[in-house]
Amino acid sequence: MKSPRIFKCLVVVTGLFWLQGCASLISNVTSGLAEDLSSTILNSQDVETVREGIPAYLLMIDSFLHGSPDNADLLLAASRLNGAFSVFTKGARSKLLTTKSLDYAFRAGCLTNSDLCQLRELKFSEFQTEVDGLDERDVDVVYAVAVGWTSWIQAHSDDWNAIAQLGKVKYLMARVIEMNESYDNGGPHLYMGGLETVLPASMGGNPEAGKMHFERAIALSEGQFLMTKVIYAQNYARLIFDKELHDRLLNEVLAADPVALDMTLTNMVAREQAATLLADSDDYF
Amino acid sequence: MRISTLSGWLAAGLLFVGMSLAGPALAKTYKIATVSPDGLGWMKQLRAAAKDVEVRTEGRVKFKIYPGGVQGDDFTVLRKMRIGQLHGGMVASSSLTRFYPDLQIYSLPLQFRDNDEVDFVRKRMDSTIQQGLRDNGLETFHLTETGFAYMLSQAPVTTLAEMQGLKVWVPDGDPIAAHIIESFGVSPIPLYLTDVLAGLQTGLIDAVAVPPLVALALQWHNHVSHMTDLPLMYTYSMLALDKKAFGSMSEVDQVIVHEVMDAVFMEIDAANRADNVKAYEALLSQDIERVEPDLTGLDSWRAQADETIEGLVASDDLSQQSVDTLRKNLLEFRANGAGH
Repeated sequence: MKSPRIFKCLVVVTGLFWLQGCASLISNVTSGLAEDLSSTILNSQDVETVREGIPAYLLMIDSFLHGSPDNADLLLAASRLNGAFSVFTKGARSKLLTTKSLDYAFRAGCLTNSDLCQLRELKFSEFQTEVDGLDERDVDVVYAVAVGWTSWIQAHSDDWNAIAQLGKVKYLMARVIEMNESYDNGGPHLYMGGLETVLPASMGGNPEAGKMHFERAIALSEGQFLMTKVIYAQNYARLIFDKELHDRLLNEVLAADPVALDMTLTNMVAREQAATLLADSDDYF
Repeated sequence: MRISTLSGWLAAGLLFVGMSLAGPALAKTYKIATVSPDGLGWMKQLRAAAKDVEVRTEGRVKFKIYPGGVQGDDFTVLRKMRIGQLHGGMVASSSLTRFYPDLQIYSLPLQFRDNDEVDFVRKRMDSTIQQGLRDNGLETFHLTETGFAYMLSQAPVTTLAEMQGLKVWVPDGDPIAAHIIESFGVSPIPLYLTDVLAGLQTGLIDAVAVPPLVALALQWHNHVSHMTDLPLMYTYSMLALDKKAFGSMSEVDQVIVHEVMDAVFMEIDAANRADNVKAYEALLSQDIERVEPDLTGLDSWRAQADETIEGLVASDDLSQQSVDTLRKNLLEFRANGAGH
């Protein structure tokens, strides 16, 4: 199966919709069904149907985990699915789903590489040392942890204990880029773009580094993953107040064919977001 | 990240466009610039307040907001205000000393001991500060807490002597802060805000004195290991409009703008207080070790602080009257048994 993609970026960074979770989940049951269902979802142009359908799979995967709590593949799938659905939720429910997603990712990581078991509890300097030593072979779980962690922070942005962990997530995502920058069609660059544009330069952020990551993410997906341009416009162009870039990126999204293998669903949402942002452009700028 | 988080600390600015060709009765757009990113909670509150003003003035007063520091830092915003290119800013109080030096009164070292003292004094002195700024060309709105600055350092600091060995960051272009730090026998290292994280990583600096929410929001906490449990100084910010621009509104509209903006910044002020309390606790849960100052030596810290203040008065950086008023209020509060 083709690599999945991130789905949606809300105010700060993420909002992911990692539909590979569906495939991985079902593949534990029957591979044929998994492939068909995954392909159907990823290539659907009907966002609402997918949105309404996911909760059923959340219940199912929880039941599978009850029977196989140490199945790393299943834990990864559960992490992705919970994280994916969290973008459709707010408040306490979003916190619950992202907490589950991150917990599953760490459990999968711990089963895969014991160095990941205590990663979250380490002091920053120890954390850096541990992350520096991670092996490229573990990129699946490391990326899952980094993405799950980012979403968890986003959902808990009213909690200073969560904000305090942002530096660790950035460090971890940077390591994923070192391991394999083209993983998930450049997903790590997209997330780093978001993380680098959380704050303006005048507050210690690094928007230009963010721009570089967005551009790289676009290149790695050959421009087919339209959500990258939406996040680029929302996080970077708005941050540096570049209306021309903002409108150009969003118009490109609207003009592009959303149908692309395993990206169609996300691209449909990207188009909706692009239209909303464009409608607000004159008011914002 | 909550807006209130960074709000007090950093700032923004109000910048005007629609210059004064239009009379008071005509619609006018007042452009506001801030260094804070748009996604923060307080920015949403500010945008909502701007809409409210527009509705209540029937479109005569509009605000356009420029977030993310696109108009520059506080000092740049103020410079643009001076030449009429901008007309206001949500800025840190330390950037406004040239307008009214006595607004530093809350930020003098080791004067306040807790939030209760701050609240008591602010009720009595905020209006004086705002009048002082008004007399010098700025119309301001409810002052917004950034919070108590604490010393965050690599090595534990319990005594004045231990602090004197530190390399402490001070904001570039803030000579008063540098002077205060120096008066404690500490080496101030002036850096732009954007260079502080790298400075901590490389050891160019090994300590910062900032409110907890600032340290967390900018991830500086990852590069220090101790926090001295002594509120060093109180920091705040405010929305300041050029007085002439504010005066170009009709009196009715001025009242509306004050009502709306005072109300929203009062909310932000309270939210920042709550955030700082939470951020302080979060720092401790992030493996930052809380260090108690040596109580027997605390008097020497305070004596040094008083000497520093006397120096500021002697150099006309501060008026004796404001210092006396602050101390009178603090004595009154402590005498009533509410202080320590």
